[in-house]
Amino acid sequence: MQSFMLSHNSVIKSVFLFVCCFAYSVYSFETNAQVIRVGLIDYPPHINFDEDLSKSPLYQYINTTLLPLGFTLKYVKLPRERASIELFKGRVDVLMPIPLENETMKTLSLPIFHSVPGLCFKKENFIPILSAIHRLDNLTIGVPASSKIVAGLTASKANLLQIKGENATNRGLEMTQRGWLDAFYHPSPIKVYHRKNPAYKELACSYFHGFATPVYIGISPKLPEKTFNLINATYQKAITKQSYEYYFASRE
Amino acid sequence: MKLLKIKQSIQRKIVFIAIFFSLVSFQLSADNIQMKKNINDITKIYMSSMTYIFKSQSIINQKNVDKSSLFGDAFIENIKQTYSVKYNEDFPKADHLAKKMLLQVMVEVMDDNKELIHDNEIGFKGVIPATYASQLSAKLATKGIGLTIKFTRTEKGIRNILNKPDAWESAVMEKMKTTPDIYYDENALLNGKAAIRQFTPLPMAPLCLGCHGVPGQNPLNVGKDKSQWTTIDITGFEMENWTIDDFGGGVSISIEKSVLQ
Ligand code: HEC
Repeated sequence: MQSFMLSHNSVIKSVFLFVCCFAYSVYSFETNAQVIRVGLIDYPPHINFDEDLSKSPLYQYINTTLLPLGFTLKYVKLPRERASIELFKGRVDVLMPIPLENETMKTLSLPIFHSVPGLCFKKENFIPILSAIHRLDNLTIGVPASSKIVAGLTASKANLLQIKGENATNRGLEMTQRGWLDAFYHPSPIKVYHRKNPAYKELACSYFHGFATPVYIGISPKLPEKTFNLINATYQKAITKQSYEYYFASRE
Repeated sequence: MKLLKIKQSIQRKIVFIAIFFSLVSFQLSADNIQMKKNINDITKIYMSSMTYIFKSQSIINQKNVDKSSLFGDAFIENIKQTYSVKYNEDFPKADHLAKKMLLQVMVEVMDDNKELIHDNEIGFKGVIPATYASQLSAKLATKGIGLTIKFTRTEKGIRNILNKPDAWESAVMEKMKTTPDIYYDENALLNGKAAIRQFTPLPMAPLCLGCHGVPGQNPLNVGKDKSQWTTIDITGFEMENWTIDDFGGGVSISIEKSVLQ
């Protein structure tokens, strides 16, 4: 009888323990497993679709920043054209990186980095310092029709040739490489002028320093305000401790 | 009796007020000394980095040499060494946000030039103290931390329009022409906000004239017939015909007081 009592007791104990564990796991699932879908746009060298995502510095920085919040982070690579639509419809919660041409997009409060426009030349015609603006006189410079041009270039006496169409940037660079243009205006030459890029080996780019555009992390209007505030506060804290720009510059 | 009590209480109040004000003014002058120290440190750190960029010209422009001294922590380490030699004192502690940010922005600026500096097919990279300075100013401006650095000179004939002096700088440079000393203003305004400002003149040196002097001083013209001389310096600018007695411009640094406190 006593032994029955004992085992009865221990059954109750184990049931109780089981219930506790179950409740805890359900609870922790509730709090930690909120899925945050992060849309990524190809923006080398910050986000580079051509190599393993874990090597992209912007991915590394944001992943490390958000992980302690306990969300399940799911990353989705998106083409630039579709990305904003996915964000607005709430199919991704976060989207990065986006230069803020689109004023209506909700973003985290601080820019993640700044993009500086510049000119790409064939190496033998390279002009390193673009504040020497008269050096651009009479050059034929291709400009993607969709790009806003900085005052540093509009103030020059260069002949600006609009290049239209979806693939304007690649065509412009191609034309420069073939010597059909003296230079090509790129809204962010860092994307193409780097050693890992095999495509434009004959080109070198210089920058319009002082004409930077802030680049942000977009947030879906559908993301609950509470989640936004949590992410934003954590992001701000991380940026103040060590900015992404410095993280990027001091990486190996 | 009552009168005596009132008198005593007034005396006590006066003593209290006197102590209070002397404490406040002591605190204020301590703050001023601290602010002055911070802005001085920033100027000297900045000047050291310019000197180091100048000294590194051959590493910057050479092909196939180790350039790691120009980037990341190694770059800062070299600036620290340059500082110790230049000012014969220890490098200041990065005990203030403005100093910490300055060091970070220096690393960021060099990283922006990394591809170019490693490009073996480009000879002259254009990374000289003046362009490094304007890149640093531009980057610092995006940080929103209330620290502004500008390498500037009198408005007429300025090379980079972004280096144009503001009214305060123009007025200070006017004074400098007669007394070329460091000028310090504890009660200035910057973009409508209370700020401390300091202007440090840069003495003209013979090396400046290779770019800013007369065509005969342009290294590009060495060994060439006079008829072949160019008036454009190696950086692509028209030479200004300065002489060694001209005013060289200087470094203008401003910190918003809200940041310093
Ligand atoms: C290798 C050529 C070169 C040398 C040597 C040189 N400078 Fe310059 N300097 C430049 C260039 C290029 C700029 C414009 C940089 C920019 O785009 O912001 C400039 C800009 C300046 C400016 C900022 C105002 C402006 O016109 O934009 C000052 C002040 C100045 N130089 C002073 C000096 C002094 C003083 C020296 C000697 C200690 C010196 N420079 C040596 C090329 C040179």
